[in-house]
Amino acid sequence: MNTATQTDTVTLTIDGKTVTVPKGTMVVDAAKTVDIEIPVFCYHEKLGPFGCCRMCLIEVEKMPKMITACTLAAGEGMVVKTTTEKVEKAQKGVLEFTLLNHPLDCPVCDKGGECPLQDNTFKFGPPDTRMEYNRFNREKATPLSPVITIDRERCIACQRCTRYSDIIEKDQALVMRNRGFQNRVSTFKDQPYDTRFSGNVIDICPVGALTNTDFRFTARTWDLTNTNTLCGHCACNCNMTLGTRLNEMKRVTTRPNDLVDDGWICDKARWGYDFTKSKNRITQPRKQGQSVGIQEACTEVAASLQKIVEAHGPSSVGFIGSGYGLNEDLYSYQKLFRTNLGTNNIDHKTYTDTPGLPVAHFDLLDVETSDLVVLIASDPTEELPILDLRLKKAMTRKGVQMIVLNDQQTLMDKYASLSLRYNVGSDGVLLAGLNTALQGQSAESDLESTTGVSSNQLQAVAEKIKSAGKVCVIYNPVALTGSSIHTLKQCLATAGGLAETTVGAMPAAPVTNSVGAMDMGVLPDVYPGGLALTDGDAIKAKWGDTAPLEKGLSALEMIEKAKSGELKALIVYRSNPVVDFPSGHEVGEALKKLDLLVVHDMMETETAKLAQIVLPSNGPGFDEGTTTNIGGRVQLRTKGLTTDNPADWKIVSMIAKELGQETAPKDVHAVTAEIAEKVTGYQEIKRSAIRKQGKNREAVASANGASASDGTHTGSGLILRVADVLFSHDKILDAESNLAHQFQPSTVHLHTSDAEQFGVKEGDEVRVTGNGHEVKAEVRISNRCNPGGLVLPKVSDEQGVMSLAEAGKAVSWVTIRK
Amino acid sequence: MTEILFKAINTPNLTSIDVYEQTLDGYQSLKKAFEKKPEEMVELVKASGLRGRGGAGFPTGLKWSFLAKDVFPRYLACNADESEPGTCKDRELIMKNPHLLIEGMILCSYACQIETGYLYMRGEFWEYEELMDKAIDDAYAKGYLGKNIMGTGFNLDLYTHMGAGAYICGEESALLTSLEGYRGEPRLKPPFPAVEGLYGKPTIVNNVETLCAIPFITRNGPEAYSAIGTEKSKGTKLVSVSGHVNKPGNYEIPLGTPTIDLIEKYAGGIRNGNKLKAFIPGGSSVPMLPASKADTPYDYESLMEAGTMLGSGALIVIDDTANVVTEALGLAHFYMHESCGKCTPCREGTRWMYQILTDINNKQGKPEQVELLSDICDNMSFKCFCPLGDAAVAPVISSIKYFPEDYEELIGSMKTAQPVGTP
Amino acid sequence: MFAFNDTSETRIKKIMAKYPEDRKVSALLPLLTLAQAQEGYVTPEAMVEIGQRLDVSPAYVESVCTFYTMYYTKPVGKYVVKFCINISCHLNGCDNLMEYAEKKLGIKEGETTPDKKFTLLKEECLAACTEAPVMQVNNKYHVNMTPEKIDQVLGSYK
Ligand SMILES: Cc1cc2nc3c(=O)[nH]c(=O)nc-3n(C[C@H](O)[C@H](O)[C@H](O)COP(=O)(O)O)c2cc1C
Ligand code: SF4
Ligand code: FES
Repeated sequence: MNTATQTDTVTLTIDGKTVTVPKGTMVVDAAKTVDIEIPVFCYHEKLGPFGCCRMCLIEVEKMPKMITACTLAAGEGMVVKTTTEKVEKAQKGVLEFTLLNHPLDCPVCDKGGECPLQDNTFKFGPPDTRMEYNRFNREKATPLSPVITIDRERCIACQRCTRYSDIIEKDQALVMRNRGFQNRVSTFKDQPYDTRFSGNVIDICPVGALTNTDFRFTARTWDLTNTNTLCGHCACNCNMTLGTRLNEMKRVTTRPNDLVDDGWICDKARWGYDFTKSKNRITQPRKQGQSVGIQEACTEVAASLQKIVEAHGPSSVGFIGSGYGLNEDLYSYQKLFRTNLGTNNIDHKTYTDTPGLPVAHFDLLDVETSDLVVLIASDPTEELPILDLRLKKAMTRKGVQMIVLNDQQTLMDKYASLSLRYNVGSDGVLLAGLNTALQGQSAESDLESTTGVSSNQLQAVAEKIKSAGKVCVIYNPVALTGSSIHTLKQCLATAGGLAETTVGAMPAAPVTNSVGAMDMGVLPDVYPGGLALTDGDAIKAKWGDTAPLEKGLSALEMIEKAKSGELKALIVYRSNPVVDFPSGHEVGEALKKLDLLVVHDMMETETAKLAQIVLPSNGPGFDEGTTTNIGGRVQLRTKGLTTDNPADWKIVSMIAKELGQETAPKDVHAVTAEIAEKVTGYQEIKRSAIRKQGKNREAVASANGASASDGTHTGSGLILRVADVLFSHDKILDAESNLAHQFQPSTVHLHTSDAEQFGVKEGDEVRVTGNGHEVKAEVRISNRCNPGGLVLPKVSDEQGVMSLAEAGKAVSWVTIRK
Repeated sequence: MTEILFKAINTPNLTSIDVYEQTLDGYQSLKKAFEKKPEEMVELVKASGLRGRGGAGFPTGLKWSFLAKDVFPRYLACNADESEPGTCKDRELIMKNPHLLIEGMILCSYACQIETGYLYMRGEFWEYEELMDKAIDDAYAKGYLGKNIMGTGFNLDLYTHMGAGAYICGEESALLTSLEGYRGEPRLKPPFPAVEGLYGKPTIVNNVETLCAIPFITRNGPEAYSAIGTEKSKGTKLVSVSGHVNKPGNYEIPLGTPTIDLIEKYAGGIRNGNKLKAFIPGGSSVPMLPASKADTPYDYESLMEAGTMLGSGALIVIDDTANVVTEALGLAHFYMHESCGKCTPCREGTRWMYQILTDINNKQGKPEQVELLSDICDNMSFKCFCPLGDAAVAPVISSIKYFPEDYEELIGSMKTAQPVGTP
Repeated sequence: MFAFNDTSETRIKKIMAKYPEDRKVSALLPLLTLAQAQEGYVTPEAMVEIGQRLDVSPAYVESVCTFYTMYYTKPVGKYVVKFCINISCHLNGCDNLMEYAEKKLGIKEGETTPDKKFTLLKEECLAACTEAPVMQVNNKYHVNMTPEKIDQVLGSYK
């Protein structure tokens, strides 16, 4: 019996209609459920009741005064009236006040057509104004930042934008200055408002006071074609709407999905779309530098691969993909290599990871409903921005606690009740220690000297985990070293076995579809759905008798073998190893030795330059299919732009056909359906089921590896920690990007003691050298990591930080030179 | 004369704790209070019939009994923002008899089980911050404040906190917001401060004068207090009489004293032998009344019945040399200047009223503007976020109601209207 | 650059002790007052410094600072002369006094004398209505003002 429903709802009448809503629902929202519109300006569901615009005044029986529907929680038996004479007079009066100093420049206003002020005036407003004085003199359109324009004359002081800055982004960068009618939305000293999530204020401004500078005057909103789709940047897969016109990107706006983005997007989602029209796009297939038709290119690829396999065996060819592809694309590629070419030389990453989890896969909403979040090696603010907002919400408004374990400082530390900094490279030992502590034993005595974290502190972490009812572990596998991901998964297994605690986890690798890439089996040792190589029967049943069962080469091994000449052909899909792989500066030489290098990508890259055959990949905006986010939620990415080039999966199927594959999927839905049939966990992923808010896939088999918990490293100099930054100057955000103002200089973060030892000061220009490579950077003495390590944020492709990292090594040593 | 708050107020050096103790039996009420349980103290104040002297006139004992049960810590915020035009009684109490206030704050804190109290004074009271700080220090030194006061186990810390120029911070929720270090914008009510106040904890906000009445009530019993005044308006009230009178000043009267007596007997009548034209009985936020209503007894109910309010107890007297439109304009400027800007009707309405009144006062108004003014008032009344908007309406609407001839006088000689500069 | 001087630092210690540790933003107004006392007005640098101490953004400090009329965000004269213009003072002829002071100092309301000595401002009710008209010079009350008293009081500020 469920008694909760009885006590958790209230029933009231609004304009004679009976409404039953959850307790705590505001009357405005209750009215909406029965299609009664109470006009609002300042109220926004995500910002909570505020009551400043007074637009939503209503009458409630037994209440002497009119009251604002946005601040009044629905009460049992309440009788609400929204259309009485008194209410109508109040609405007209308030609208008259609102419009008093608001210019009537609707014909040239970007908000026209989607403006609450315009709509409310039309529906509830006075026919004309009795104001005969000049409007209060405010500035017309001026830049609030390089991407946002503010027209203070149009501002109605609803404080949505400033409350957003205070409550949601929590940086109080945008505030109200002055008081009374002179109040003014401002930043400190009118500096640019250029935070990571600044653009959301455009969407929530109920008038045309905050507008998108890039979009201004380029189209009328009603002339746009709007497509509901997903962001293609990080692995949160926020929902958004693409506004296009004549097949060109015009703007991106939020499309709230509480289960993913909670109604917000980051500025990279909003303005990081220049790549759709960049001159740096690969628009044409080419062979040896010459444009060719796509069929010709595919035929050539197939023929060459076939020749090489015949001559050198299946293990002479390989595939390096990436988490940037859609599930359908990645699935198709692994299938091509496994069933058509007979090799497991398939990978998409340079770090160690395994699919599946030994505990429940938590979704983003679980962050809010947990008692404790344990954030490991993750920097959501730079890597998965919307998770940053979700965590802040959970910590400051939902009473959730957080423990942070990281080797570098992040902005999340501020919200954590406990934040421990372990030495760079010591994560394996730390996690082993945590596992021991969770098992109720005391850790190794040398724990502190290796990790910088005492066993007491770890004990405290273990205790907190044990005493919390629901724990959500979020970890970034990319920032773990060596094989410590396996130790982490052992910790999860141990925690999962605790009697009183529910434990779930979220693998938080930053790249768009990293979870999908794992699930789709773009791995040398695991088939789709976490199917391990040891399960030969199951593999044969699903993938046929010829499906390869021996372990393939990892991405880094493929580069190795290319260098040694053992690997002859490679398809590189949506990946740029020359820049992004450890020892990247040596990758080029290795690739040049191949008989065949095919690069299938969206943008011209350093790697594409080396390829004999280049295939165009359409990418976000143009492509269609599914992605799986960090919460295991599978959603539909649809296209808002069209191109003559075939979809990526289609190109794969054209190659497969040349290789003798008889059947070909007729469209992308057929591939999605095949995934549902073939990939464990994806059975319920049907187009119809995921269209609205997506759907969590079921658990993927957890494949756990053994860890050689190597935590002590020897070498000289400092251990390198590469950190991600959100607005990195790369192929996606190029120099022409709307977000170019966000690019940062190359900096190296040192601990005070190390800076002293190397004799460098804040602001010094230095060279960070190691692995036969050097990176120029400016010194910041920020104590961002413990002594013995240094942090290098990856601010651009040009900077080449990954070349400092030694391929195949758990840690890399670097030194500093002036 | 019944003097409770102003008893011996002009004693030299009353600000010294020793003089206070000797002259007024200072701090002796604490012993009486500590013999009682806190709940009994609340009952005692309830029985006295004391109502809040800050403006709203809410029964003080009842407010104290509304504190969220069993939620601690609780706070006291004494409202010494005194910004209501015409009001200056709290300043006199603080300036001349700071220990009376401290004693009142201690009694309130004991009754409400509060261990931290703040005295929020308007920023312009800068001179008195030092004086209050010294008085508080002396009370600590004598053991009336601090840990384990007079061996009872009761602890109390009191602190001064200065505002910085904002009338709205007199409104209790804005006062708390300001004390927390924000812009002094009012907050949503409910929750009321007694449930969720300072730092989200149960908080008592009381006016200086209210708290200064507590020592008398404690010492002499509630009956002694409720014996003074009318049936429903108990005790004495400090009234700041200002404007066109011969002897402006703060006078302590038993509630129910005829208003005309305040003007004639206490304040020495209208200056220069002029005639009374209008009076505002309770500070600028209440409607003004014409001379014909001057015999209204000065108490909560009678003034309410006469169509106005007792408010903060500031009687502003206007004689027949003045045109009330000019005074309404001055007050319109005040409310425009003090509107925090949070809610639309108040922010926009106060300015619009000011613009129209400026025109009229400059003899550039039009007859229909008077009607427009009334309608703006109606659109603001009870539709703003906090009572400041209603307050802004009061002088304007009452001036139109009682003195249409003053408007006619200005509009009748109307010149050709020309656009008027905005402020 | 802005730094609180030693006297201020001593006061800050006392101020911070008034509020719960996790509510130090409560000290914002008192710190702004101190900064102004030190520099004559609240400089942007002071806002940054205060923000850092109280763990709020400088924008936040500016937002609060500009809400209250007693903080100046631009330089003012050594003595700020404020005349109450509200009703009780108005009924007692403050308009004439303001005009008298303007003539005497040779500046208009809102202006500062060229020698940076006096700034003249209008003020709303100062809570001394029974002693109207009222004038304040740097927070010191002067009541029952007359032209002669203006001469005398202003003359005493060197
Ligand atoms: C705009 C406005 C200004 C106010 N100003 C003051 C004030 O200066 N002093 C005061 O004691 N109460 C003032 N009040 C009343 C307070 O909100 C509150 O009712 C009072 O401090 C409660 O104390 P009491 O119950 O002892 O009167 C003001 C109210 C409003 C709406
Ligand atoms: S800019 Fe827009 S969102 Fe911000 S206060 Fe003004 S109207 Fe509201
Ligand atoms: S929407 Fe209710 S007051 Fe603004």
